[in-house]
Amino acid sequence: MNKTAHKIFISTMVIIVIASLIILTYVGFNYYRIGLEERFFLPEHETLKPSGYLGHGFGIAGSLMIIIGLFSYMARKRFRRLSRLGYLKHWLEFHIFLCILGPIFVLFHTTFKFGGIVAISFWSMVAVVASGVIGRFIYIQIPRSVEGRELSLNEINVLKSEGNISDLLPDAFKDRPDFTDKSFFARLIGGYNYDRAIFKKLKRDLKNQNLTRVDYKRACKLLQNEISLNRKIDMLVSMRNLMEYWHVAHLPFAMAMMIVMIIHVIVVITMGYRWVF
Amino acid sequence: MWCLAIVLILFLSAHNSFGQISPGDLTRAHANLEGMSNCTKCHEVGKKVLSSKCLDCHKEIKALIDQKKGYHASTEVKSRECYSCHNEHHGRNFKIIRFDTLKFDHRDAGFELLGKHNTLTCKACHKKEFIKVKKTQKTTASYLDLGRECLNCHADYHQSTLSTNCASCHNNNAFKPVIGFDHKKTKYPLLGKHQAVECSKCHKIADQNGKKFQKFSGIAFSNCTDCHKDVHENKFGSDCKKCHNEESFKKVAGLTGTGFNHAKTGYVLEGKHITIDCKLCHKVSLTTKLKFSLCSDCHKDEHKGQFHKPGVLSDCKDCHSVEGFKPSRYTVERHNKGDFQLDGAHLATPCFACHKKEKDWVFKGLKKSCADCHENIHRKSIEPKFFGNQNCENCHSTTLWSKVKFDHNTTDFKLTGKHATLTCKQCHFKAAPDGTVQQKFAELTSRCLDCHADTHNRQFDTTQDNSCIRCHDFEKWKPIQFNHDNTRFKLDGKHKDVACLKCHKEVTEGTLRYVNYKLGDKKCSDCHLR
Repeated sequence: MNKTAHKIFISTMVIIVIASLIILTYVGFNYYRIGLEERFFLPEHETLKPSGYLGHGFGIAGSLMIIIGLFSYMARKRFRRLSRLGYLKHWLEFHIFLCILGPIFVLFHTTFKFGGIVAISFWSMVAVVASGVIGRFIYIQIPRSVEGRELSLNEINVLKSEGNISDLLPDAFKDRPDFTDKSFFARLIGGYNYDRAIFKKLKRDLKNQNLTRVDYKRACKLLQNEISLNRKIDMLVSMRNLMEYWHVAHLPFAMAMMIVMIIHVIVVITMGYRWVF
Repeated sequence: MWCLAIVLILFLSAHNSFGQISPGDLTRAHANLEGMSNCTKCHEVGKKVLSSKCLDCHKEIKALIDQKKGYHASTEVKSRECYSCHNEHHGRNFKIIRFDTLKFDHRDAGFELLGKHNTLTCKACHKKEFIKVKKTQKTTASYLDLGRECLNCHADYHQSTLSTNCASCHNNNAFKPVIGFDHKKTKYPLLGKHQAVECSKCHKIADQNGKKFQKFSGIAFSNCTDCHKDVHENKFGSDCKKCHNEESFKKVAGLTGTGFNHAKTGYVLEGKHITIDCKLCHKVSLTTKLKFSLCSDCHKDEHKGQFHKPGVLSDCKDCHSVEGFKPSRYTVERHNKGDFQLDGAHLATPCFACHKKEKDWVFKGLKKSCADCHENIHRKSIEPKFFGNQNCENCHSTTLWSKVKFDHNTTDFKLTGKHATLTCKQCHFKAAPDGTVQQKFAELTSRCLDCHADTHNRQFDTTQDNSCIRCHDFEKWKPIQFNHDNTRFKLDGKHKDVACLKCHKEVTEGTLRYVNYKLGDKKCSDCHLR
């Protein structure tokens, strides 16, 4: 998948998520904003209630999206047979897409009524999504290969040396102190302050070199990459640890959500609510 | 990882009503059915919610449906599932019984709202104290088991004294007026004046059991005196209807001979007395004693005592009867027994011509001479010796004015011959220059020329009275008294046969024409041809 195709891929998913959110809100706005005790008396209740034609459909669709998004990504990661099937990075993006769109549908399935045991599933889902957002942040703090594999420190340094910023500003980062040995907050705040100051100085130096506007922008970009890599190197160990801890949180919530969802589905089917089937 | 997930579930469950798989709280009425173990009390496995399960608990509804009564048995509701109207799991405060009261057709409940009922709010009737079944009374906001009878909601104003079928008299629009009630259908139909009497006059309003109450039943009505006071104090018995009816107390039917017999009172009503209002005589009350021996006991003396004679008891009935004040029974015969007998034209003269000259009738003190009534048209034109004391009867009679019976021979001028055939006015009436007729009876002489014209144009001596008589008499104008031989020219021979006009020619002097009798000394040759 080249860069453009990837962009279309991402954009399509974003558009679908936003459009779904808008459409679902538009369809049921009058219904959802009314108090729970009044909804029954609205004509939309028949279709939008959790057991209604649309409401039930939202639940089934959302659940299926979550199941597909969850298990497909897990399978891609766990089964060697599938390891050649696309970049893991793209699978993650698809996982994120389905596991954001699915909960949106589930949210509208609940009609914003959160109670009973099924609420465990719902709030677990919320926790999973929230942790997913945090996880995504941690994820991007760890430099990765094009496929999405984590890089070692050496690989990163090789990557740094491939950059040609030293051609323009040979002494740019030679005086950068080593933050790796310092505490987490010293690394986070000290590194940030240093990098902000040096970025300002180096931009000034770049301006003195009489570069064209395009070259100046490219040089700035290279500078940012360099600083970013430096920071990621500073935080690499911490982030790898965080990622480990994150998995411990993200996955159990997902499992809890699945377990209660299954219970919910079983109860619902038992009671005779089978949507169109 | 799995262990972590289960721990997480248990942890979160503790904060979410442990064991609760309900999609939402039940309403307050069903709150006792909360909990996992109760799901199947309403839900049937694989069949969602069954109405039969609802009706297992709500037996009162089931009973109504089975009896085909009430809203739940209506065609609109019968075919629907309970949950389509009475839904659940919408929170404690959800109104499980709620419908559009403005659009609700109450006929579906088997009770059509009519009249004023349409203007009421639901709660005005559907309130606790009106619900018949005690168990339902405990249910808040229930529309069930409301009695359909009027008295279920309305207070019994009549306090169980009348039928409970209020609709037989009242309608749905208003308690008053009582449109459905017809007094004619009762045992006591209202007749005559009773129809206009205000109800409360007979059906008294009073307090009973601490409430305002109008009595409509148990009212005695067999006797009039049950309501009316017997003003006669039982003098005429208790059956008022013998004399009175419902039209008017004052119009006593007895006067027509069918009921009250006035004759029993000692005074028989006759003539006009039959038709007059009792109160005209019985001014105070019908039972107050009245004098009735004389007409004047009741009637005013129209003649103002003119017929009152000292020591003599006279009464109107001497002249009038009960048939009416007019005509009077005073006859001509009775009149003729008096001082002034009526005869001739007086018999045809109406009474008022003499007795009511002015406003009032006058019967006493009338003068009897003709001139007291009649105008003396002769005034002073008749000599007193013929018209003494203005006694018209010397000449006239009551028979006819124009028929004069005067004996002219008592005058100095006896009527003989043609004079006896003339009418009075030919000699005594003369037309005046102003066109009026003047009478002249006095100061007339016996001279012919006072009446007759001198057609001879003063050829004869007229200085003497009745000088005309020398030639004429009263029989004919022809001068039979005249003897030509006594004149200077004696007629003899052929002269006897000659017509007068042969010698006495007619002469015209201006407008005056006369025959010339004075021929003077005549010679033969004056007449005969020479």
